[in-house]
Amino acid sequence: MIVGYVLSGLVTGGIFAIMGAGLTLSYAATGVFNFAHGALGFLAALLFHELNAAAGLPAWLSALIAAGLFAPALGYVLHKAMFRGLARAGETAQIVATIGLTIALPALGLLVVDLAGLPPADATSLPRGVGPHPSVPVGVLGVTLDTDQLITFGFAVVTAIGLWAFLRHTPYGLRMRACVDRRDLAALRGIDPDATSALAWMLGSGLAGLAGVLAVAVLGLDATAYTVLLFASATAAVFGRLRSIPWTFAAGLALGVVQNLVAGYTGFLQEVTGLRTAVPVILLFAGLVLLNRSRERVAGSAAEDAPPPDHLAGLPPWRRRLPWAAGLAALAVFALAAPAYYVGVAAQGLVLALIFCSFVVVTGIGGMVNLAQAAFAAMAALTCGWAFASGLPFAAAIGLGVLAASAAGLLVALPALRLGGRVLTLATLALALLADQVLFQVDAFSNGTIGWPLPALGLGLADTSDPRVLVAVLLVLIGGVAVLVRNLERSASGRAILAVRSAPAAALTCGLSPTRAKITLFVLASAIAGLGGVLYAVAKGSITATDLPAFSGFVWLAIVVLQGVRRIGGAVLGGLVAVAVPELLATWDVSAHVGAILFGLGGMILAKHPDGVLTQLAELRHRKPPPTEPDTGLPVSSPAEGAVFRLEGVAAGYADCAVLRGVDLAVRPGEVVALLGANGAGKSTACAVAAGDLPATGGRILLDGVDVTSWPAHRRARAGILLAPEGRGVFPGLTVEENLRTWLPDPEPVYERLPRLAERRDVLAGALSGGEQQLLTLAPALVRPPRVLIADEPSLGLAPLLVRQVFEVFAELRERGVALLLVEEKATEALALADRVAFMRLGQITWAGPRSEVDGERLTAAYLGVG
Amino acid sequence: MIARRGVTAALLPVLLVAAAGCAAQQKGAPRQEGGAVPGVTGTTVKVGGVLTKTSASGYSTKDAETGARARFERANAEGGVHGRTIEFIGAEDDGQDAAKGDAAAKKLVQKDQVFALVPVHAPNFGGAAFLEQQGVPWFGWATGPQWCGTRTGFGYNGCLAPKQGDGSQTWWGRQLAELLGGAEGKSVYVQTSDSSGSKYGGTTISQSFTAAGFELAGVDSGLPAAAPPPDWLPYVNKIMTSDGGGPPDVVVSVIAGTKFNVGLYGALKRAGYKGVLTDATSYDVAILKDPASAGALDGVIAAPMFEPFESTAPEIARLRQDVEKVAPGTPLTQHLAIGYWAADIFLDLLDKTGQDLTREKFLATANGSYLYENPGFGRIEYPKDHTEPNGCGALVKLEGGAFRVAKSMKCFDNVPLR
Repeated sequence: MIVGYVLSGLVTGGIFAIMGAGLTLSYAATGVFNFAHGALGFLAALLFHELNAAAGLPAWLSALIAAGLFAPALGYVLHKAMFRGLARAGETAQIVATIGLTIALPALGLLVVDLAGLPPADATSLPRGVGPHPSVPVGVLGVTLDTDQLITFGFAVVTAIGLWAFLRHTPYGLRMRACVDRRDLAALRGIDPDATSALAWMLGSGLAGLAGVLAVAVLGLDATAYTVLLFASATAAVFGRLRSIPWTFAAGLALGVVQNLVAGYTGFLQEVTGLRTAVPVILLFAGLVLLNRSRERVAGSAAEDAPPPDHLAGLPPWRRRLPWAAGLAALAVFALAAPAYYVGVAAQGLVLALIFCSFVVVTGIGGMVNLAQAAFAAMAALTCGWAFASGLPFAAAIGLGVLAASAAGLLVALPALRLGGRVLTLATLALALLADQVLFQVDAFSNGTIGWPLPALGLGLADTSDPRVLVAVLLVLIGGVAVLVRNLERSASGRAILAVRSAPAAALTCGLSPTRAKITLFVLASAIAGLGGVLYAVAKGSITATDLPAFSGFVWLAIVVLQGVRRIGGAVLGGLVAVAVPELLATWDVSAHVGAILFGLGGMILAKHPDGVLTQLAELRHRKPPPTEPDTGLPVSSPAEGAVFRLEGVAAGYADCAVLRGVDLAVRPGEVVALLGANGAGKSTACAVAAGDLPATGGRILLDGVDVTSWPAHRRARAGILLAPEGRGVFPGLTVEENLRTWLPDPEPVYERLPRLAERRDVLAGALSGGEQQLLTLAPALVRPPRVLIADEPSLGLAPLLVRQVFEVFAELRERGVALLLVEEKATEALALADRVAFMRLGQITWAGPRSEVDGERLTAAYLGVG
Repeated sequence: MIARRGVTAALLPVLLVAAAGCAAQQKGAPRQEGGAVPGVTGTTVKVGGVLTKTSASGYSTKDAETGARARFERANAEGGVHGRTIEFIGAEDDGQDAAKGDAAAKKLVQKDQVFALVPVHAPNFGGAAFLEQQGVPWFGWATGPQWCGTRTGFGYNGCLAPKQGDGSQTWWGRQLAELLGGAEGKSVYVQTSDSSGSKYGGTTISQSFTAAGFELAGVDSGLPAAAPPPDWLPYVNKIMTSDGGGPPDVVVSVIAGTKFNVGLYGALKRAGYKGVLTDATSYDVAILKDPASAGALDGVIAAPMFEPFESTAPEIARLRQDVEKVAPGTPLTQHLAIGYWAADIFLDLLDKTGQDLTREKFLATANGSYLYENPGFGRIEYPKDHTEPNGCGALVKLEGGAFRVAKSMKCFDNVPLR
């Protein structure tokens, strides 16, 4: 029987593998982890079904249109509308926006079906698959499979081979892999990262569509089932370390087999409800902890989420607080005057607001994205209910509930210490699902499906069964949390946390413990969420295991981030919006799908304005004009006649730090200009700006008299500006041959010139020696000389023999008419080759002139800054 | 480094709530203000329902609204109850979300001022605690434990989630035993999914069959609850070898949703299963539209908890007429019948409460030795059926693309739930 389980498990695994491959592909190529991958599959499946059932097209044609045309087109549209902006937004915005899509896309599809009067998507029945209908049983190696299963497996094999061929043997695949390997370098080689991302999204979305269409015959048209499918695929992707498509594919297939073996052979686990269902989630968590330790950033931080500028900074304190005081007053009046029903709605909103405050702590302050917040709230509420039912006083039960949530937070924080960024987010997701599927299914804990009844909170004269009292209690609690958050931000520990968030390594060297800071935040946030969960139960009068499902945690996060996750105000607004919008939609009798779609639109807005509604409002009203840079441009020292490449008064910098303050340089064809200067003078920044890797904030960059200042890096590279960046300009994950092919259609001439590379053509570039890597960087230029070659510290870390070899290459290029800009800290070799020399200091050219005018004195002056 | 102050401040709100909690007490239901009874005028009684009209999984009980409306329209056409017509404002959608159900109940009671909630048919209904506290009667299908043990929640066929020691149904096993000519020496296998609700169903239903004399070959609760397994092989394999290495005589499916059953039955038949298949959800004309589903379900014995629509009973003929009047051409479904019979019981109680109508009087009537028999759903007794099912059910068989009555509605004694 085991053969049967393995064989038919491989079929299931085929679906996981196809979907997981798409997930890995789009993540690796664009850096955005698409939670909506399952939703894309659902939409394709829905279209397949409608084309087939309503339009009467044959199944194969419907499948072709849905997975082959529609899904890639959708991927392209989403890339243009959303993903492109998201790639530059912080992690929080990325996660939230794709979660928004998860909710919005299926709703959009179902709304269209509703409005167009198409046959409804009945999630409770099974639509037909791609194969014959009803499917025909086929015996394979003594196992009975059906035709749909065979077709699925066939597509999995074809997809695997097709993806391999595409990525390994087409220029598009090479470009995509180059982008995955070193995105910035790829642009410098003339590869348009945007076009590559678009392609990755089309391909990834097409794979999601294919998996969706293949799965529809077993899953039905059920958006939830597709989300479950996404989690299984995410497990496969995680085992591929979110980079390797072959490993993802293999892991997907293996997961299918493991699921079958678990279902077939672990009857003894049946006593623990949910444990067997949760196998993929357990594997997901294990994979995250074991395989995906973040190597770069250990803080679990989202350091790219730079805080938004404080647009209200110039206003007096009373003016900053006025809107909130007015809002509070309005709420108080509302609570006293409005009918009980509406006060109850407001109370519900404030309960959510209290829970949302926990996001302000963990995400807004800590920069960690936690998807398990609903689980913490449920944990506290259930513990409280259980303790109260076991005879503890209500006060003690509440304390115990909050304590339980804090303990759970501690447990989540422990693995979080080792994980960073998205991996941490996925880990909290896994834990949330695990709590839902296993822990809350324990009857003794959640009292089966009945749950626990909870009394109202008494305050002497009144109790919280009166919504007005509840509103008052909640306002006091939220106020308490707000004070706490303010103290936290201003206290030593708050500064420690901010330090850990923005620069974990630096914080560590200052003696700050990132571990303690993170644990504190997690525990504090869980306690707040737990308190909110208890009040949720008190407001409702009871709590059951299904009241606060894990998925609501995702929705909550999205709502808070949309309003602004850095302030308590955002949380309060979020809570009120979360109850007001459905209420309004119901009053106006609008389809619930519309609400879900609006939510998805919120995600798109977030892609453009990652800091939320509140910041957006403040910015609109109080935006200050950007500070104008004082014009420090020096007169051009030598008018460069016939220069092919010129920088004119170029200014640039990083964030608030200006590095270049008006740089003028010119390089003629067949000329070597050496740019010299001490460490920190701005040489590498000048190179990056020249090649388009860093935008210029002032001045012009001219190629052949054409202003290329606004051109992106890949366009400049295609026009002939080649930068050999500091360090090594190679793709370490690609072979020598593939590295060459990123710039050359045919690398043979390189091998003739440099037989050493020919010997190692199939070796990964990362495995070459430093000298070989530098040769590999420059070799393509020998065969296809650029107009301008900018070499940033080409001799860095090379043995003298190799340095000579490298400079021989430069000499040859000069002979062939290339304009060379040679940047060096160590001047000797560069001066030997240079025709002209420019000295740089503090972001400006202090002297430029012919090589012949450079003597020891001038050199010393330039480096010591006494000239 | 981490400030003590922060931690202390974190504890502050907790202490605050805890202090408040010391004074906590369960308050009784607030009395109705003044003399006015919410939702009741001299000529009308206002009611509204809560249904799972939409849900992420696609499960929908929206037909119950049509059923209730059909029954109320007839009552109104007959002049109402004690001179009052029923003002049925329709049903709210809870989206299978407990919080939304709670909000919907509050809206109906506080904003729309209904007298009672009819029909309530939502598997994850979250408004029970509120309605019980407010003393608002609610009528529907009591599939969940939130109904049971209340004084305000009235399942049309009793509480279907009894506690241990309370009565549990035996009609399914006994009806099937009668149909098969005795349970002697016949084995039964119960398949549930991996959630506590479904496992509970497995327990009560296993007991129903053992009480009828079947031998239990096995109970499996390994099926994933959220989505059908992509591969049925391990489950089917287990069933096919459960009875001493061979297949059982009867397979009972306690998994919700046609697509689960279509998947399971299809896979069982491919594996050569020839025995009886029975479940509670397959009595659904929508299945007949798709040849593959109808094929997979062919021969299945479904167990509805109301008199089948194919029955010749006069009550069913009248149900058909009533529905045809309010919504011509509507296919008759399980949810429609539930809405219809819940409304029917509410009307009967309204009649028995008398001219002077308050919620207290209504509940006193309902909970004071109330008995109502109707061939449509068997019989209902309150307060007894607050804690146990009414013990009645029917069987229909799907054969050659049509349902036919296998056993008409009949009531059996409950046995205590182990």
